[in-house]
Parts: sequence; structure tokens; C-alpha cells
Amino acid sequence: MKIQVLFGTESGNAEVAAEDLAQSVRNDGQEVEVQDLSSFSIAELQHDSMYVFLCSTYGEGDLPNTALPFYADLSVVRPDLSGMRYAMFGLGDTFYTETYGHGATKLDDKLTELGAQRVGKIGRYDASTWEPVGECAVAWFAGVLEDVSAVRWLQRIGQHGLDPAA
Amino acid sequence: MDTPLSIAVIGSGPSGCYIAQSLRRSFPQSEITIYDRLASPYGLVRYGVAPDHQSTKSIQSQFARLFEREDVRFAGNIEVGRDISLDQLRNAHNIVVLAAGLPEDRTVGVPGENLPEVYRAGRLTRLFNAHPLEQTGVPNLGKSVAIIGGGNVSIDVLRMLIKQPEDFVNSDIDDAVLADYVRAPAGRIDFICRSTITNAPSDPVMLSELGRIRGVRFSCSDPIDVAEDAPRAALARAKAVAGLLEIDPGTETRVEVALHFGWAPVSINGDGHVRNVELRSVNDVRPNLHLDADSVVTAVGFDYDSGDWHGLGALKANLETGVMDLGLYRTGWIKRGSRGTIAENRSCAKAVAEEIVAGVDTLKQQTKPGYGGLPEEVRARAIDYSAWKRVDSAETDAAPADRSRRKFPSHEHMVAIAHNNFVQTSAGPGAN
Ligand SMILES: Cc1cc2nc3c(=O)[nH]c(=O)nc-3n(C[C@H](O)[C@H](O)[C@H](O)COP(=O)(O)OP(=O)(O)OC[C@H]3O[C@@H](n4cnc5c(N)ncnc54)[C@H](O)[C@@H]3O)c2cc1C
Ligand SMILES: Cc1cc2nc3c(=O)[nH]c(=O)nc-3n(C[C@H](O)[C@H](O)[C@H](O)COP(=O)(O)O)c2cc1C
Repeated sequence: MKIQVLFGTESGNAEVAAEDLAQSVRNDGQEVEVQDLSSFSIAELQHDSMYVFLCSTYGEGDLPNTALPFYADLSVVRPDLSGMRYAMFGLGDTFYTETYGHGATKLDDKLTELGAQRVGKIGRYDASTWEPVGECAVAWFAGVLEDVSAVRWLQRIGQHGLDPAA
Repeated sequence: MDTPLSIAVIGSGPSGCYIAQSLRRSFPQSEITIYDRLASPYGLVRYGVAPDHQSTKSIQSQFARLFEREDVRFAGNIEVGRDISLDQLRNAHNIVVLAAGLPEDRTVGVPGENLPEVYRAGRLTRLFNAHPLEQTGVPNLGKSVAIIGGGNVSIDVLRMLIKQPEDFVNSDIDDAVLADYVRAPAGRIDFICRSTITNAPSDPVMLSELGRIRGVRFSCSDPIDVAEDAPRAALARAKAVAGLLEIDPGTETRVEVALHFGWAPVSINGDGHVRNVELRSVNDVRPNLHLDADSVVTAVGFDYDSGDWHGLGALKANLETGVMDLGLYRTGWIKRGSRGTIAENRSCAKAVAEEIVAGVDTLKQQTKPGYGGLPEEVRARAIDYSAWKRVDSAETDAAPADRSRRKFPSHEHMVAIAHNNFVQTSAGPGAN
């Protein structure tokens, strides 16, 4: 299954993170496509795809300008996203104590509300750390994939009983 | 097979870095060199963005990827017009992109502007940021300062002047400049914004941040309500200012800040020295205001230098296109004028990169020698990225415990460290 990486950015960090993440997924032999939320329409969302969102925060805890139309379309059109799975990575800055990472949180709430299912925890990048955002995103996504396989394993246990050969 | 395209970017600020990013994506095989007159990359991110806004400066880690992973060459310590001419660069590279920013503070255009205690925000922010080519000497601000201009740079200056030394923990402020200022800090500051609160150019978050500084009492005698259906930013700004006015530090008050919205300067007055500033109301009929002041800081934007830009004549802003001539482009502040945040230079660079891509077929026809075709003595003085990293580590090593780095305020010193010509003495900066 192809992984779709979608980023919402203003100053470019989320794009860098998206590219690094895609490269690392590609290196693992997985098909992946990166797109900017500013040129992505909600009509393109597929129920049977896996999405990775990387989204920063601006204003007072808002999504970046480039991602606002996508978010507004979700809110107005309210497509049924049940069956869609996604992972969420939020970029922000703890300097903004009260709205830290709210852009991604808002997008996450919206997707969940529309029936999509998040896998793994929301990843967080704090710009005040000066760490390379790409490495942070790659490390987070490795954890998400582990969670996913752990869940699969548990599901399998559920289905077949505790059979080490399963 | 095509010979690789050779690209020169003049200026390593946000716009130079963003356009290099875009061009690297479009032309993976090209040779890209970013030139800068300074030994350090990143332009105003290093020398404009306030020293206590380290997280804004952290965009440097995104730009560093260009040099560390994307095969973009940094050639610092090369000033176009002094070390090499624009024509020489155009002869060596297929594509030259000007991303040199805007150097000059705009003038306000009122009488009295040349009095000795009228300072430009560009100069002050460069001083606090330890800019190595800024003439030293501490401004004589006095007890009472009038700041003309209501934008974010103006707020940066205000914040520098009302913070206490302990508020600069983890910053990279020039401590010598700070120490000089806090010996006799201002006790009263007038912040003069031409626009009403609805249309003011300031970011509400920057305004509310002022409220976290202890010992400051804010006042405002202008209307601070905005219409209910005003744009969100205006509502947020009004709320931020209202929040500031509620703060009452009581007996701990160190400094009074008077906010003025809707007032424009008429004149700066004084007999050989600044004594007061006269303001007129922009929209309403109100008597002119006379504010006593020992000094004035102007923060009304930055401008093209009025002379000839390296043979191109006097430049003006162009919002339509970044194309200047065959193979010659511009992006960032030198294209649009001094408006916009770091992020706005990203979309600007993307648009200019598209124009470059659209015209590249013609440019490809010419074979150019690239960076290697520059005179030997020019390449010898260049500071490449690994040489810059020596300065970078020397600065972080030299930082006291409560500072993120200690910037060296001497360009010669930076160049010496970069070129490994620096003989460490126990007295020298950078020594442990
Ligand atoms: C005081 C101040 C504070 C700011 N704070 C913020 C903030 O907090 N957040 C924000 O988003 N934006 C901020 N900005 C705006 C932001 O800095 C600009 O949008 C951005 O830096 C413009 O980028 P630029 O690359 O066009 O110009 P610059 O950043 O000025 O870069 C130009 C580069 O070109 C080099 N150069 C110039 N002439 C030559 C030459 N002849 N040869 C070789 N090199 C040359 C310069 O050395 C410099 O490195 C601030 C601006 C100022 C002035
Ligand atoms: C004007 C401005 C407002 C911001 N507001 C917030 C905020 O409210 N909350 C937050 O967590 N980060 C905030 N940030 C920080 C950015 O989200 C952070 O720098 C991020 O790395 C930017 O990613 P991008 O380059 O992909 O846009 C703000 C940054 C700027 C410049």
C-alpha cells in the first residue's frame, strides 16, 4: 500500500520533515508520495490509503496559511473518512506556551471527527530545540510503525489465540 | 549530456537559502554557490531577528541542510561590488539571483531627523545582535525614548529596551552593548504607531509577549476598541493591548510605556539635541501632541540604497516578476521591498524559481566556467561552510553558561578563525 505524505508549512520545516520521512520510507522499499496540502484537494482522499500528515502551527494556534483551505474544506464538506488511517506529526514551538502544536491537534481532531482513524501517537517537534526536524520525524515514524505492527500482532493473537507460530 | 548549470545566489539570508532549496530540487545536477559579504551565513536571521527570539533563529537548522546535505556551496567573505563585480559573476554562472536584502533604514522624512540622538532601528538591532560591520559606540538613549514606527521591528526595539538583564537568559545578545544600556536604562518610552489599532502592522503575539516582562506599566490614551467584524488579527491585537493595560506593577514599576495609535510624527525638535517630538492625529481632529524625549528611534522599514546597484541603476520593488535580465533574477526583500516575515520569502523564492525554470532552456545554451572560473584570489578569500562551522563552534564554546552563543563582533576575527589563522592567546576572544 502506498503511503501518502501530506505537509502543511509556512517556513518550510514541515516540508523538509516530509521529504526526509519519505526518503527513509522509500529506503525501506515502501512506495510513497509527498504532497503539499496547499495543492491537495479533499476529493483525493482515499479510504484505503495510509496518510502521514506533517503540520506546523501559526497565528494563535492555527494551521499554517497554506493548509487552511484544506482544513476549511474538511469542515464545510464534511466527507465521511471512515476506513482512512493516518499518522500525525505536529511542528510547533514551546515559546508559544498556550498553543504549542495546536495546528496539528486541530487537524487531528477534525480527521477523527470525520471518521478517520489515527495510528500511533501524535509526533511533536519543538522548533526551540534547534534539532534537525527531519531526523525527529523519521524517528517518530519508526515508532508509529512499531505501534502498528504491535497492534497487528495483538489482533492476530486475538484471532488465533496465543500461538507463537501465528 | 548537458554541462551542469552553474548558479550564483548573492546573499545567504532566508531568500537566498529558500531559492537555493527550490533550485536544487529543480536542477539536481547543478552547481549552486551562495555568496555573502559576511563570514557567516543566514543574513537577518542572525543579525536582524532579536537575540532573545532564539526559536525564530532556529530556522538556521533548516538552511544548514543545504550546505550539509544538498551540495550547495557557501562562499562567505565575498562582497559583490568589492571583491568581485556583478558582471564577473554573470560571466562565470548561467544564472545569478540577487538575494542581497535591503541595507538602508528608511527615513521618516520629518525635520530634525538628523539630530545626533536620532537612531535607526537597523543600527540598534545590529548592535544588540553583535553585527561585525556595525560601527560600535553605544547610542546615547537617555531617560526617555520615542520609538517611531508601529511594526514588529519597533516592538523588538521596545522589548530590548524594557527587558532586564536576567530576561536575556539563553539569548545570544551582545553583552557589552547590553551592559552599557542597562547602566542607565530608559524610564519612559513612547511607542508611536501611525495606524489605528485595527490597521496596525504589529503581530498580536509580539504585543502580548511584552506583558511577560516584569516592572513595566503600559498606558494608551487612544481608542483601543475595534469593530466586532474586524479581521481576526485586529481583534487579537486589541485584546493584546487591553491585556497590557491591565498590568499594574505598582511600586515595582521600572519603566512606563505609552502606546500611541493613529499618530504621525510632524517634527523632531531640539537645539542641537533631541528635546521632543511633535505628533499629529492621522484620522481625527485632535490637537497635536508634544512628547518630551531624549532620543528617537526610527523603525519605519528598510529601503533600496538610492544609488546604482552594481551597474543595474537604482532598484525599485517589483511585485510581479523576479526577472531582471537574461540569466539575472532577484528574490526576497531586494525584490519586494522590506515587507514580510521569513516565511514569506519562501513563497517568493518558489515563484522566482518557477520563472527561472521556465527560462532555463535558453540559459543552458551557454557554457559557463562556474565557481572554478572565478579569479584565484577571490576563491582564496572565500569562507566555505566548514570554515564557517569553525567560527560557529568557537562562538558556542565562548558562550557563558546563560547564553546560547557569544557572537564575535569583529569580522576580522571571524575571518581569522574561519581560515584557521587565529593564534589563540589567553586574552583573545574565543579562548577558554
Ligand atoms: C530587525 C529585524 C527583525 C526581524 N525579525 C523577524 C522575525 O522575528 N521573524 C520573521 O519572520 N522575520 C523577521 N524579520 C524579517 C526577515 O528578517 C526578512 O524577511 C528576511 O531576512 C529577508 O530576507 P532576505 O534574504 O531578502 O534579506 P537578508 O536577510 O537581509 O539577507 C541578505 C544577505 O545578503 C548579503 N549581502 C548584501 N549585500 C551583499 C553583497 N553586495 N555581496 C554579497 N552579499 C551581500 C547580506 O550580508 C545578507 O546576509 C526581521 C527583520 C529585521 C530587519
Ligand atoms: C508568527 C508565528 C506564529 C507561531 N505560532 C505558533 C503557535 O501558536 N504554536 C506553536 O506551537 N508554534 C508556533 N509557531 C512556531 C512554528 O510552528 C514552528 O516554527 C514550526 O517549526 C514552523 O514549521 P514550518 O516551517 O513547517 O511552517 C509560530 C511561528 C511563527 C513564525
